[in-house]
Amino acid sequence: MTLTATRPATTKAKPSAKPRRKPFRWPLWVLLALVSAITVSPFVVMFVVALSPPGSPTLPVQWPESLSLKTITDLLSASGFLGWTVNTVIYSVVSVVIILLTASMAGYAFAKKRFPGRDAMMWAFLATFMVPFQATLIPMFVLVSQLGGVDTFWGLIVPTLANSQAVFLMRQFIRDLPDELFEAAKVDGASEWRIYWQIVLPLTKPILATLGVFVFLWHWNDFLWPLVMAQSDEVRTLTVGLASLRTEGAPLAHLMGSAALSVLPCLLVFALLQRYLVNSISMTGLK
Amino acid sequence: MRDPITGLLFVLPMLVLFLVFRFVPSLGAGAMSLTDMSLGGEWNFIGAENYARLFDDPKFWDSLWITLLYVAIYVPLTVVAALATALLLNAVVFMRGFFRGMLFLPYVTSFVMAGVIWRWIYEFDGLINGLLGKLDVGPIGFLEDSALVLPALAVVSVWKGFGYSMLILLAGLKAIPASYLEAATVDGAGPWQRFRRITLPLLKPALFFVLVIETIGAFQTFDTIYVMTGGGPARASYTLIYGLYDQGFKFSNLGYAATFGVVLFALVLVVSLIQRRLLDRGNA
Repeated sequence: MTLTATRPATTKAKPSAKPRRKPFRWPLWVLLALVSAITVSPFVVMFVVALSPPGSPTLPVQWPESLSLKTITDLLSASGFLGWTVNTVIYSVVSVVIILLTASMAGYAFAKKRFPGRDAMMWAFLATFMVPFQATLIPMFVLVSQLGGVDTFWGLIVPTLANSQAVFLMRQFIRDLPDELFEAAKVDGASEWRIYWQIVLPLTKPILATLGVFVFLWHWNDFLWPLVMAQSDEVRTLTVGLASLRTEGAPLAHLMGSAALSVLPCLLVFALLQRYLVNSISMTGLK
Repeated sequence: MRDPITGLLFVLPMLVLFLVFRFVPSLGAGAMSLTDMSLGGEWNFIGAENYARLFDDPKFWDSLWITLLYVAIYVPLTVVAALATALLLNAVVFMRGFFRGMLFLPYVTSFVMAGVIWRWIYEFDGLINGLLGKLDVGPIGFLEDSALVLPALAVVSVWKGFGYSMLILLAGLKAIPASYLEAATVDGAGPWQRFRRITLPLLKPALFFVLVIETIGAFQTFDTIYVMTGGGPARASYTLIYGLYDQGFKFSNLGYAATFGVVLFALVLVVSLIQRRLLDRGNA
């Protein structure tokens, strides 16, 4: 979970004359290639160590002579790792679904409805940007433990659903939809819920998809909250499990194998939706 | 559309979540810092005693100093990395999308994974020292040396996160009209002058945004420290957040830990206000 500030409007580029084809600047290209290679190298060494046959020499001494899935299959057949994965899927997917629903509902109301206290409420939502999550960690923990939520899925999930970034983003997007659409539906006798379900949701699909990807990544990679909330293996997520392997001194191959497996869904999301992620960061500053 | 009931009903689920899990804890942080609450939940009102204890505690001042030091190392490093890569991406056309993807890749992963990989990269029998060993250099105790541990941790966070700021700056660079730069070239401005006199001033809003985001993020660094050093060696990476976690969940001093949270909030607030003031002056 992160804080954000107002994004400056730098992206609305004035369409200038089509720039002339830039000359091929090979020293810069080589430098960029080098920096890119260094940036991905930690992933490469992680996979190499994770895929080295157990017991044979590997990095940093030498490149392994062959690769094997032994470590990976060992990890997957041990119960701990699979359990953490299932828990992380629950944590991420349930959060995505509920945040998309509640944030789009709130965003719709803030954008298109007038009701008492609306602007004050919106400002109060935005003001919570200013309070770092960690500053409220202790009272959140006390609150959830008073409610009996420590080491339960609801205790893990529900407090993370209050997401002001999501509400703000939905509001901005829905505000730009034409009012006539909603008025016409109303004249035709559609109920409010039906307008939301059959007009708002379909029209906001692109922004819902973007938001969904971000919320998924935030939760999949989240650490501090699951660390204090999920204390047993029943609820423990991958990041917390991975950290516990590290601090308990698990063998290197297991560490790298677990790290590699835990990151696969993120790499998949990245491979499929890179353009999407890149564009939404450039356009909205979503973090 | 004036429709108070439906409006409220649609906001209601999120409103309840916010009231219970954002507002109550935000106020609760201040309230709890005035108590001696322990993990069991019993508490007494003790006034400002936690604050007196905090300001008397050399460990608190150390952790504050280490936090500021970390921020001072991390922020310039990450802004320079993001700006340099954004400029490179903006200058290169061939395979640009591919390189942008490679540079952005670590951003979608977790700090915990980053910590696990980089811990091994830094270890005595890890990657860097293995390579240095072949050259008969080292070994270097990146995480064992009090002077090296903060830069080493900062590098991990830079690696994991600079892609985000890079994209913001790249969008800023693309918004600079090419005609400005062409006109300057015609007028005889060299590459450095064009960068200094045109690119940099026009990039200021984006740079400022990046600076704020990265500074606030740096104050909140926890995951990599937990995974890689546990606050060590000899508390050389024991930041405010680590102190908060330690007091709360290791020593069960929830009231005292909440005090750390209030200080963190105050720090982030002050930094944001200073930066906003600087921006306002810059625009005037």
